Amino acid sequence: MEVRLSARAAAVFEKVSKVYRVGWNSRRVVALDEVSLAIGWGEVFGLIGPNRAGKTTLMKVLLSICRPTGGRVMRLEYPLSERATLARIGYVHENPAFPQYLNAWQLVEGYGRMSGVPRRVVRDRTEELLHRVGLSDRAHETIAHFSKGMLQRVALAQALVNDPRLLVLDEPAEGMDLPARRLLDDVIRERRTAGHSVILVSHALPDVKRLCDRVAVLRGGRVAFTGTTTELAGAGFPPQPGEDQLESAVEALYAGAGA
Amino acid sequence: MKDSPMLATFAWLVRDTFRQARAHAIFYVLMAISIVSIAVCATISIEGPATLAVGSENPDFLPRNDVDVQDPDKLEQSGVMVADGRLTLAFGAIEVPLARDTGSAIHFLELLLAGGVADTLGLMLALIWTAGFLPTFLDGRAISVLLAKPAPRWVLILGKYVGVLAFVLFYALVFVVGTWAAIGLRTGFWDPTYLLSIPLLLLHFSIFFGFSVLLAVCTRSTVVCVFGSLLFWCVAWSVNFGRHLFFTSTDMAAESLRSPLLGSVVDFGYWILPKPADLGMLLFDSLGAHDHFGAAFDPTALAVHGFSMTLSVLSSLTFGLVVLWISVRTFAKTDY
Repeated sequence: MEVRLSARAAAVFEKVSKVYRVGWNSRRVVALDEVSLAIGWGEVFGLIGPNRAGKTTLMKVLLSICRPTGGRVMRLEYPLSERATLARIGYVHENPAFPQYLNAWQLVEGYGRMSGVPRRVVRDRTEELLHRVGLSDRAHETIAHFSKGMLQRVALAQALVNDPRLLVLDEPAEGMDLPARRLLDDVIRERRTAGHSVILVSHALPDVKRLCDRVAVLRGGRVAFTGTTTELAGAGFPPQPGEDQLESAVEALYAGAGA
Repeated sequence: MKDSPMLATFAWLVRDTFRQARAHAIFYVLMAISIVSIAVCATISIEGPATLAVGSENPDFLPRNDVDVQDPDKLEQSGVMVADGRLTLAFGAIEVPLARDTGSAIHFLELLLAGGVADTLGLMLALIWTAGFLPTFLDGRAISVLLAKPAPRWVLILGKYVGVLAFVLFYALVFVVGTWAAIGLRTGFWDPTYLLSIPLLLLHFSIFFGFSVLLAVCTRSTVVCVFGSLLFWCVAWSVNFGRHLFFTSTDMAAESLRSPLLGSVVDFGYWILPKPADLGMLLFDSLGAHDHFGAAFDPTALAVHGFSMTLSVLSSLTFGLVVLWISVRTFAKTDY
């Protein structure tokens, strides 16, 4: 699949590969196989795929959490070697494990400071964000007592504290209650309105359909589809009884159609 | 204008280490040990001659239970003084008769506190306790968000390393300065050499904690770090002590084992590894322990076989720095 790549984008992946060596015999596991994608400015981009498709690995490569084996990646129009670009990126991990001895305030403020946000600004931002995610009354409680949903709210607050130009959300709605999901929707739409970009990694097709401008389907470390959700739904896969078009198209892609 | 993320990350990690430490029960155990030690020192009182020595001469005195002391005439004729002071603890509840002058008794007590409590018990507890800090920090789910921050990876490792050292320094300061001040206030003896135990303790700890960091980066396992660090300390101590014994022992069995090849192997191990026994000797030398304890090895015999305290400390320090550098390099190349 040919993708027109431009350096003027929030993120660009050009034939990116990632091979892990696992086990005592260094068995080769291909996590990404020549992935090419471009995420534009002001775009909400959905990344879907079955388990072990390479979605999280692709995000880790973008965030310099792991190194690509091959290919080229541009982040906020700069190569990966420019770590300073990470100061304008927010990241919500799929299953965050923050230090249990910190309270929500310390965590959000500290992670903001680590992104280079000045001390005076970070205090106001922390207060504002904790209020926004509904944790201002529990800001000074250690997060060891927090539920999964509350941890996701803290994770969202820390990802926004540096006012990111690119927000990477890896399964952010996991464990969130309805008000928190609405908040997440609002945050994503606000980022888009402000001209910032969002990458949403999700298994929840309704979320992807509702929020994303474009979507990519990864399968076995390769890009199986890129386009809008409408294009995906009409990609020529007849729906199964009781399924909508998007769902059946995605299921067919997961199963190997269109390869 | 933005602040430097590198400096902010470093400062935050140092501060975070104190928070992490406070979250463990052992923080309070160590604090309790320090407070009890300071409290014991604050109950000391001392009676007896301030010094039996004149100037820098060796003290010329008799212990109180010497037979010659029982004969007052003979004692008066000899012109020798008798050590007749006493040291009491718990506001007089426990009495310890002095064998020498009061200054010497205080010095002996400080040696026990510096060498026994701080440099042995304190060091081991600190090594065991802090060995779990890095593996927790490096857990894949925990570190991922930090790796997606702009500060380079080496800042994360060094920030945590310096944080742990700062914390151990804090404890060393509380313990040593606390006991020093309590003893000084109660007895009027203010021996500044006792304070040298603080940097020496920190030096000793920093070298072995560097090894613990390497284990953490390679395995991310608390169990491996705790037992690996202790085992490594024991191996390094055995090689260090064994090397000196090998070259200086006049025992027939040791002499029969001595061969150029084995000597080279022992020497190689000695110079490669850090040297906890030598660091202990340095502490005792610095605190002037030779007045109370016999040297484990004859310094002249050691010098003949290439021993130099300066080289020993420098090579231990080099080991610590190299291990830390390897840790940083390994961490920089690790995928999470």
